[in-house]
Amino acid sequence: MYKVDPPPAAKKLRELYNSAAFVHSHIAHFYALAAPDFVLGPDSDPAKRNILGVVEKVGIPVAGEVLKHRAIAQDIQITVGGRSTHPVWTLPGGVSKGITEEQRQEIIEKAKSCVEFSKFSLKLFEDVVLKNKAYLDLVLSDAYEMDCYWIGTVDEKNCVNFYHGDHRVVDQKGKEVFRYKDHEYLDYISERVEKYSYLKFPYLKKIGWKGFVDGPDSGVYMATPLSRLNAADGMATPLAQEEYEKMYSTLGGKPVKKLLATHWARLIELLYSAERMLELARDPEVASPNIRTLPTATPEEGVGIVEAMRGILTHHYQTDKNGLVTKANLIVGTTNNNAPISMSIKRAAQKLIQPGKEVGQGLLNMVEMAFRLYDPCFSCATHSLPGEMPLIIDVINANGDVIHREGRLDHRS
Amino acid sequence: MTTRIIGLGNSILTDDGVGIHAVREVQRRLEACPGADVEIVETEVGGFSLMELLTGCKKVILIDCIQFEGLIPGTVVHINPGDLRTSLRLRSVHDIDLPTVLELGSRLGLPMPEEISVIGIQAENALTFGESLTDAAERGMKKAVNHVLDMIRDPSSEMRH
Repeated sequence: MYKVDPPPAAKKLRELYNSAAFVHSHIAHFYALAAPDFVLGPDSDPAKRNILGVVEKVGIPVAGEVLKHRAIAQDIQITVGGRSTHPVWTLPGGVSKGITEEQRQEIIEKAKSCVEFSKFSLKLFEDVVLKNKAYLDLVLSDAYEMDCYWIGTVDEKNCVNFYHGDHRVVDQKGKEVFRYKDHEYLDYISERVEKYSYLKFPYLKKIGWKGFVDGPDSGVYMATPLSRLNAADGMATPLAQEEYEKMYSTLGGKPVKKLLATHWARLIELLYSAERMLELARDPEVASPNIRTLPTATPEEGVGIVEAMRGILTHHYQTDKNGLVTKANLIVGTTNNNAPISMSIKRAAQKLIQPGKEVGQGLLNMVEMAFRLYDPCFSCATHSLPGEMPLIIDVINANGDVIHREGRLDHRS
Repeated sequence: MTTRIIGLGNSILTDDGVGIHAVREVQRRLEACPGADVEIVETEVGGFSLMELLTGCKKVILIDCIQFEGLIPGTVVHINPGDLRTSLRLRSVHDIDLPTVLELGSRLGLPMPEEISVIGIQAENALTFGESLTDAAERGMKKAVNHVLDMIRDPSSEMRH
């Protein structure tokens, strides 16, 4: 927008901040929201199927490590950007403050610890999920799959990159079909409006909107950790690359369409983020005082795209001559997945609810797993207590009568 | 530190930020009568991050926007965390909820507060961008502030209706 290129140190600090955000967000999602289904079982007692149940099973020391590394990643964000949420140091042309050499050394030690914790998390996933046939069968179940397009940002070698690169779309066979730069996004992405929701439904413009269906003729695409891995040829850091190869060899090649593998992909991204933090912190240039190029041009219009934890994040602004925003369009991570989320819930419900099969709390949770794997940020849309989500399954007969209701009713009502 | 008052919310989402507005008002009124052993915190975080904010003091008062069905906008409710605990099986889709925060902190041996109060203010509009409160939330905010100040002066005080 300001037609200015930030100095290398500023770009590295911004990427370091974003990598740290991935670390604490992915840790929270895996241990608080995904692990209960696998460590305790998807149909286990709902009262215990939470992080407290996980703590009981894996032990207090592991829980301590989870909290420690969440906090470490947030500390890195505070050191770099002033705050762990809503940073206060980004400016047109760079950032408002750099880091000292002493802070750089501290970040190196913290990043090393995050790398080790990420390796531990992948080992835990292997021991708990992959070595348990019932859970592996669940991951491979056709209740949780989608045959859509996949999107993610890649570097010049087509490796996953969260901060900068081309945005690559691959098809149902893993073949690249589109590749666009930030400013070209409107040529590739459109947003459909449905009357019942204020959240739009983005789709691939050149394929077109064909409704809530997958397949090559439908422009529905997905933007998740699994999507990013599917859309890339590999990971840019060595340990994450090893895990990437392992996932695809275990699950039968690319693209992986089994959506519960998103949790596995998320842990591989956790390791990548930690390794990338370490790489950036080891680069002495990150502590350079040259952190801003002063903009001199009159701002007009700009598009910025990065990868956020839940998917590709697009910001598009137009301004007046004083830089005041006159028009803005944001397509945030979860918004990309609006159609896939709806389709995933429908598919899980259709596959799991069968004649003669009891519709109970276990089944309710297994349908919700199709929603939760996206790590949707709907609960952040408003910040009101109690911050929970009602969920109801109605079993309807041929006459349209509700013959059974299974619910996790919102206690507000 | 004896008491920490935490205002939760997003101050650019109309009534969603009522907790933030409330703690700013508490701060302003406390400045007129110095000496209270109180720390004021504004935050937009929840879940794990909230746990870190809860540690290290004896008493915590959380002020947040609520959207309970059937409540008139601006209504102020004093929620006992024990009541929220009855919904322990319920989870946020995005992070851990408050009862889980309290239980997890306690199991991990963290210095959790001995006493937690949650003051909820019913929103009229928590979906529209805006830095001002609706009239209803503004009234609720003032009532909540009076209640919190009463609680600081007299911990056994009941909410005045």
